[in-house]
Amino acid sequence: MREGSPQALVELVRHLDQGKIDRYAQVSGDHNPLHVDPAFAARSQFGGTVAHGMLLLAYVSEALARAWGRRWLEGGRLRARFRAPARPGDALTVRVLPRGDASCQVEVLDGRGQVLVSAEAEAPSSPPQKGGDTPG
Amino acid sequence: MSRPGLHQLPKGYRFAPVSYTLDDDWVESYLAATEDTTTPALEPSAVPPLAVLALAVRALLEQARLPEGSLHLSQEMACQRLPRRGETVVAEAAIVSRGERQGWVLLGIELSVRGSRGEVVVSGRATLGLPAREEGP
Repeated sequence: MREGSPQALVELVRHLDQGKIDRYAQVSGDHNPLHVDPAFAARSQFGGTVAHGMLLLAYVSEALARAWGRRWLEGGRLRARFRAPARPGDALTVRVLPRGDASCQVEVLDGRGQVLVSAEAEAPSSPPQKGGDTPG
Repeated sequence: MSRPGLHQLPKGYRFAPVSYTLDDDWVESYLAATEDTTTPALEPSAVPPLAVLALAVRALLEQARLPEGSLHLSQEMACQRLPRRGETVVAEAAIVSRGERQGWVLLGIELSVRGSRGEVVVSGRATLGLPAREEGP
């Protein structure tokens, strides 16, 4: 955890590789070559393949389900911005930081602590439950 | 007839509603691909809300192509109720904003997924960056 950052409610760790990106492309039908074609992606501004934003948000959604349980599934709200790409080989940490009873700040960080996704989330009523670290 | 590129569609464009089923096999594949063990542990019949959105996008992209090199810039989402395996839903979407800057088209797409009684299950808004010109073959 970064120095001075508040206590995370939940941290979820996922190790990204090209196989996981390919599997997400298959299930989502999003075969954008930025995600699945190393030759195409090498010519892009990223210099290599990157994960789908929706895959990163799936990790965020699971972390919020751990924090809030069914309240997230039944009435959660999320606003997310993609700030930097997640690449094969990245060790991703989804950190859910409490901000009041029904509101959280969420970050997806790479192994160097760079924020890849920043988000705000809300869930209806009653305070979130305390969750633990869960390596992926 | 070939599908238009998303970047060619005007502001105000409405996609034709698409009906699809949150099929058990597909949900299992989605949970495996996203390594989600939490949602089924909370409620075995539940479908992750992001899965509902992902499937809606997949269905809508049968009407318009996502240009190669497109970027997902931001995403908003609201869950209105628990989506369940096996239910049939209808996705509706419209382009609510469109701008061009430095060779990119910035597109805002609002999407809602409704249940069999017409109630909203999940809604969202995506902002995409699309190359204004696609690479040739």
